Amino acid sequence: MKLVKIAAAMAFLAGGTLALAAEKTIGQKGKLFSEKEVSIKKGDTLVFVNDDNIAHNVMSSTAGNTFNLGSQAPGKSTPVTFDKPGDIQVICAIHPSMKMLVKVAN
Amino acid sequence: MSHQNDSCHTRVWLYGGLCGAFVSAGALALTFVVSSGQAAIVGETRTVEIKKAADPTVDQMKAAYMRPAMIPFPKDNPYTAEKADLGKKLYFDTRLSAANAQSCASCHNPGFGWGDGLAKGVGHGMKMLGRRSPTIVNAAYGQIFMWDGRAGSLEEQAVGPIKAEVEMNLPLAELMGRLKSIPEYVALFKAAFPKDGITEDNLARAIATYERTVVSGIAPFDAWIEGNDTAIPEPAKRGFAVFNTKAACAACHSGWNFTDDSFHDIGLDTDDVGRVKIVPGVLKMEKAFKTPGLREIARRGPYMHNGSLQTLEEVVEHYDRGGVDRPSRSEAIKPLGLTAQEKSDLVAFMTALTSQSDPVPVPVLPR
Ligand SMILES: [Cu+2]
Repeated sequence: MKLVKIAAAMAFLAGGTLALAAEKTIGQKGKLFSEKEVSIKKGDTLVFVNDDNIAHNVMSSTAGNTFNLGSQAPGKSTPVTFDKPGDIQVICAIHPSMKMLVKVAN
Repeated sequence: MSHQNDSCHTRVWLYGGLCGAFVSAGALALTFVVSSGQAAIVGETRTVEIKKAADPTVDQMKAAYMRPAMIPFPKDNPYTAEKADLGKKLYFDTRLSAANAQSCASCHNPGFGWGDGLAKGVGHGMKMLGRRSPTIVNAAYGQIFMWDGRAGSLEEQAVGPIKAEVEMNLPLAELMGRLKSIPEYVALFKAAFPKDGITEDNLARAIATYERTVVSGIAPFDAWIEGNDTAIPEPAKRGFAVFNTKAACAACHSGWNFTDDSFHDIGLDTDDVGRVKIVPGVLKMEKAFKTPGLREIARRGPYMHNGSLQTLEEVVEHYDRGGVDRPSRSEAIKPLGLTAQEKSDLVAFMTALTSQSDPVPVPVLPR
């Protein structure tokens, strides 16, 4: 209980919002994202793990939530936090078979 | 630069005991984000342990190359014989170009494995184009079209060259007028598209439907995959193994049509920026082009997006050397250290992908 108060105070002092953010892992085996569509909340994190045996290049060009992981080697894992609500098209720049929709709710 | 700049965000990650104090689920982390940027926030990359799959047996490798039983047609443009017949006439009709001199078949000629046999295509006014004309063989199975993937569907691709100034140079509105002035085309469109007859979309639908019927014939390789052990020579069988293992060609040239439609800079000496023009700012898309399928490949030289390699032997040499080592070069491309026999085996394997195609009759065109 005490800890919650400390964390809340920290949030208040920094002028931000305190959120309990969830984290979900997305695999890329066989040139496919492990999920075609995920629904998350603003501030949640998707961890893109390259569990395939070739390099991938996960990215999005959706306004407000653009990112580009660049070339991600097998065995690498990178978290991406989405803090704008909306429908985000996530792709692999290399493989057109890799497409997923990330629905970020407010 | 591969990562987004993080400087506009302030993040505090609270892990361990503190986190455990108010979340019960182990997979949750407490994130404190002050942010108003235009980008998602990319965190630290870590190394994780990935279970390595066992090396596939030859039978498992072979199973990945079975021919599909059906040609896929999209839901919004299903096959009809009327559409395919009309599409074939349009495909071979030179009146689809401003000069009345070029048809789709000029550059995608069945006699040359549905390409043109040239290093680079020839467009309006006999001017040389920037890239080699790709084959349309097995286009039905494509996920994305053109060397740089700028067309998302075969319908979109089909009308691109007609209206492109450097190619057939005919505005579609003008083409609609031409087609409407030919009574037989009016009737054929009406039969294929009873609702609206001659329209730009229906032109695209008809040509795409015909193109989807162009599928490579049964090759000796297919007979071998089906279980006829003597259908291909021993060097081709060894080449198939090298293709799938040491040379790792199958990392991209995968499946029965030998492509996953992926984009790679394969280290060719070229000024062409390739895919990055369509996906700006993505380093690995610089000088990247779509992986072509390998069916009928022995009939389809010269090779590469610019026709710079004359023979399959030269192609194998290129991949063995690994091309120009530069930041945009694909991680899949590196020196392979192939022996002389492995190289000739790879060529023998690719030669076994040539089918005994029947001649293609040219349609009688409406007048
Ligand atoms: Cu990928």
